[in-house]
Amino acid sequence: MTWVAWRQHRLQLLWGAAAIAAMTLFLVPTGLGMAHQFSSSGLARCLSTIGFPRCGDLSQTFENHYRGFSFVIPLFMMAPVLFGMFFGAPLIAREMDTGTYRLAWTQGVTRPRWLAGKLLVVVGAALAGAAALASLVTWWSRPLVANTASRFHPGIFDLRGVVPIAYTVFAVMLGVAIGALIKKTLAAVGMTLAAFAAVRIGIELFLRQHYMTAKRLTESFVFGPGKGGVAANSADWVISQNTIDRAGHIVSRGGGFDFSYLAAHCPAVAAAGPFPRVVGAIPGQVDPVPACVQHLGLRIASVYQPASRFWTFQWIEFGIFIALAIALGAFALWRTKRLS
Amino acid sequence: MTVALEATRLGKRFGKRWALQDCTFELPAGSIAGLVGPNGAGKTTLLHIAVGLLEPTSGSIRILGEDPGNERVLSRVGFVAQDTPLYKYFSVADMISFGEHMNSSFDVAFLRERMARLEIPFDQSAGSLSGGQRAQVGLALALAKRPEILLLDEPLASLDPLARREFLQTLMEGVADTEVTVVLSSHLLTDLERVCDHMMVLARGHFRLIADTSDILKNHKLLIGPRERAGAISGVEQVLHQSATDRQATLLVRTNGPIIDPAWMVNQVSLEDVVLAYLDSRSTADANDHDLHAVREVAR
Repeated sequence: MTWVAWRQHRLQLLWGAAAIAAMTLFLVPTGLGMAHQFSSSGLARCLSTIGFPRCGDLSQTFENHYRGFSFVIPLFMMAPVLFGMFFGAPLIAREMDTGTYRLAWTQGVTRPRWLAGKLLVVVGAALAGAAALASLVTWWSRPLVANTASRFHPGIFDLRGVVPIAYTVFAVMLGVAIGALIKKTLAAVGMTLAAFAAVRIGIELFLRQHYMTAKRLTESFVFGPGKGGVAANSADWVISQNTIDRAGHIVSRGGGFDFSYLAAHCPAVAAAGPFPRVVGAIPGQVDPVPACVQHLGLRIASVYQPASRFWTFQWIEFGIFIALAIALGAFALWRTKRLS
Repeated sequence: MTVALEATRLGKRFGKRWALQDCTFELPAGSIAGLVGPNGAGKTTLLHIAVGLLEPTSGSIRILGEDPGNERVLSRVGFVAQDTPLYKYFSVADMISFGEHMNSSFDVAFLRERMARLEIPFDQSAGSLSGGQRAQVGLALALAKRPEILLLDEPLASLDPLARREFLQTLMEGVADTEVTVVLSSHLLTDLERVCDHMMVLARGHFRLIADTSDILKNHKLLIGPRERAGAISGVEQVLHQSATDRQATLLVRTNGPIIDPAWMVNQVSLEDVVLAYLDSRSTADANDHDLHAVREVAR
């Protein structure tokens, strides 16, 4: 059975291997170049001693130099679903489309065994391809990620570690299940793309932040040169930041000040006017805002996932997509037994 | 008598339409049966149920004493679907390997020998085979399973007369001196007449006739006699078809005894006449032009 599956899908598998080889040819030299630049420019040392947001020009220069590589982000985001569209969707649908199921299912092999054999080859190949690509991308992007605030950013979290492998297995099983459901190859390919995008976006935007109870941090505003309203560590995944009053009510969203709110409560702020001024530009002038903030007891409340949870989140998301893939596999098996 | 294929009140519905209804029959092992009926009669549906590709809506079917599609019976059944599906991009050699990998016992030597004898090149892709070669590859793949029952769905439909003869020859050689049961469907009776010892006549989802061909020929007669007929004719069980000229009537009848009435001249019938009569007899009441056309095609 595995020979048959290999013979049937070898063209797709070889194309997939060629695509991964082409990516390798791009990633290895650029990755080496980037790593060299990263250490020789001193950015690596700066980041490891001082930390991300404070390496100023070094950071900026490096970022500007490699900005062109951002095109790989959508490309690698798409990679799992390509496996789903080209490996998964045709697996059953093509047999139905071309009528060859009448040949395959009347040999000496039962349908469950037939499906198991095909999945073994195709999912196995997808798994190997995804693992190779994910580890390559993880290695390649190391300097770029080090020079970024948080590893939780979309486009970083999704492309590194173990999640791309789970996305790929999920995409393949999604294609197989949709193909078994609608029995038309082309339609199954299109629906796989749409369904994959819907699930990925849904989980990324709405579910991921709830994998673990988020931490909360309430801080006072700190005023002075070089200080904004910094809350949690910048490597954390900040889910929300709000300005709250003494009673804990939200007075403005996003972690800044709402001038009209301050003006309504502090006459000095209202008198100074709504336009920002350079504090201390005029000697003897006192900025009325800090006093007002202190008077009202305004603080900044952040909800965030600590940077240290990165790998926990990776494995939780990995587990979710693998569980979905298993459920889709069970559906495909159930459906295959009843197809005609 | 062992029964190779046995259906009990078998029915299959697609949406609101019954493709097959209330079919009950037994096919003895070792028969070579022709499954005849116009297009859309339910032949493919019946064969697909028999090999486990379709689930019946009602009733049941047993093939070699087993439920279709289960592990024990799959390897004992040879099936060639309509239009002989093959993997287009597989070479003939790949198709041979396919059979080998998909069956626990598979006579590769037989298959290779057969391909060589038919001069089908091993490196040619299945998609580029001629209709005749394609049918031969499909048949040889099914025969190489050494099945106990072989079901062929319209194997001759796309073949020219020469290829038809070659195909039937291969088939008869393949099953000669074996106890293998063969069911082959066709909407063309003439193809089957030569090789079949059983006839299963199917129209609009119902069986009209299932019998041994020699019994069919023995039990059906063509009577020519007076136009005005008085009462029943002794020995006639049923009049299947009648036509009349000014002076005489021609009846196609099923007999249940010798016909000794001197008013009637008794003639032998051809299988084609009988099959046509059965297809025609019970459908005339609600037949439309399309059906009649289909029935004519059967007889052609």
